[in-house]
Amino acid sequence: MSEVVALSGSGRAGETKMRIGLLRLTDAAPVIVAHEFGFFADEGVDAELHVEPSWANIADKLAYGFLDAAIIVPPLAFAIELGLRGTQQRLLIPTSISLGGNTITLSRGLANQVREASDRGGLSVPQALKSVLDQQEAKPLPIGIVHAYSTHNLLLRYWLATGGIDPARDVKLIVVPPARAAEALGSGKIAGFCAGAPWGDIAARAGAGSTIATSKDVWRNAPEKVFAVRAGWSDKSPDALLGAVRALLRAAQFCDAPENATYTASLLSRQKYLDVDSHAIMSSLPGGAIRRDNVSTFYANAATFPWLSHALWFLREMARWGLIEPGLDLPELAARVYRPDIYRAAVAPMGLAVPLKDKKTEGAHDNPWQLSAAPTAIPMGPDRFCDNAEFEPDSVRSPAPA
Amino acid sequence: MTLRILLIDTDSERAEALEKKLADAGFSEVSRVTSGPDLSAEVERLAPDLIIVDMALPDRDALEDIRSLSAGTPRPIVMFSDKDDPAIVDEAIAAGVCSYNLSGIASQEVKPIVASAIALFRRFRHVETELAVAKALLEERRLIERAKAILMRDRKMMEPEAYRWLQKKAMNENRKLAQVVAEFVKKEETDARRAGS
Repeated sequence: MSEVVALSGSGRAGETKMRIGLLRLTDAAPVIVAHEFGFFADEGVDAELHVEPSWANIADKLAYGFLDAAIIVPPLAFAIELGLRGTQQRLLIPTSISLGGNTITLSRGLANQVREASDRGGLSVPQALKSVLDQQEAKPLPIGIVHAYSTHNLLLRYWLATGGIDPARDVKLIVVPPARAAEALGSGKIAGFCAGAPWGDIAARAGAGSTIATSKDVWRNAPEKVFAVRAGWSDKSPDALLGAVRALLRAAQFCDAPENATYTASLLSRQKYLDVDSHAIMSSLPGGAIRRDNVSTFYANAATFPWLSHALWFLREMARWGLIEPGLDLPELAARVYRPDIYRAAVAPMGLAVPLKDKKTEGAHDNPWQLSAAPTAIPMGPDRFCDNAEFEPDSVRSPAPA
Repeated sequence: MTLRILLIDTDSERAEALEKKLADAGFSEVSRVTSGPDLSAEVERLAPDLIIVDMALPDRDALEDIRSLSAGTPRPIVMFSDKDDPAIVDEAIAAGVCSYNLSGIASQEVKPIVASAIALFRRFRHVETELAVAKALLEERRLIERAKAILMRDRKMMEPEAYRWLQKKAMNENRKLAQVVAEFVKKEETDARRAGS
């Protein structure tokens, strides 16, 4: 760790190529902005963006070394690190990319039933969904998720479980690529889906579905995407790694400024990037939304800091639903992949506020609060879970030695 | 036995050309579906021996999930790509994923490619099966040692005697030694826990 700090002082190297994978999602914004505005180039990083059609492609190309980095959902990064799907590859996460941005969208008929049940019985939305399910035939409700190892799968399961819905029995979670979700919803193949922006909005615009909940209804300021780098690449290019993190931070600040929303939306809507209606992208950008209930946050609320407590929450939930085998040393795994030390080394020359600790209690705040940071405290948003639970990262322990 | 092949493609012209190539190579049972929400139902219904999918389609995520769900009957997947990194093919093969650029090749090469994809896939499956067998054997050994230790402690038997006792029990009950031993250890350990608490 001290090596990283020492290397950061050693001036900029020449241009280092970095192949970065991304999907057609609103929260790819910081990478696209950093590339288009030359923030990467300023740091001596020759970024090459690869817009991929699937998480499977992102994972394979990272694993085979055809990508050096990618915007990724944290559970998939852990799956690649552990070799749970395809080839194993060492990854590290030096910075997070975004908070929030997902929607849980149901077919319009079902959404209306659920809203009615919720109003009538004073129930939470997942409880109302459970009561609607209880009145129907026993067939599990098909709901689309973007990948088994996704943030969406974990947030959706957490949310369903708070309403007494068993994700293994009462619903059938199937993988549907977000670009196909609106169509699948319209044809009745799925009754709902959980996906990142702008796809919930696109389904609503197509008249196929209605958004019943968003990330913040599950966990306020929930962590969403991260920037994962192949350890093999960063070992060879430690300076470029720090530069890439700085470029992404500048881009995150740009994307978070409400006055830039129109610009960012039109940039992202280009054919070579998301290739969708810029209005659908606008509604998930800070400053672009009329109702600010599902915007991605890129910089505020320490959105870029790679919290070990986020890593441990994801890992605990992966273990809870059987996505990783029991008995793994989760604290060790979290610290191996999430690297706040690299983040600090990268940010030091920028003079930006950095959290003092690597972990925090998650879910303890209903209201805005101040996070201890240097040189100045960071204003934070609420981080409440929908069931008011608090997640204490130290509750996730290493297995006792045999 | 005829090989059932499922071809997933949105570009019908290209899919038709590939289907013809496969037919020329002697693979007559080719089903063609455009990608979309019906994919998992189609895979279930057709139970193909081989799935050919374009890497440029988002449906790979759905296929990956179908494959993990049907762990009992996984199917080899051949990916093809027109414009997408030809080099990834070599890496993917080395990693046990069957990936070939099928659209860019001559008809006479289709058959060996499909055959090698299946052979490769079977080899990986075989290694996995062998590993599972080895693990089961190890577990059986461990349980036998444990059962012998219990007998030696509680019934003051000598080691060969303990082993014969277990063998005899299995023979009398007309069951496999592994089963009998596993049950015996479980029962003894439960009893011991109950007595201890």
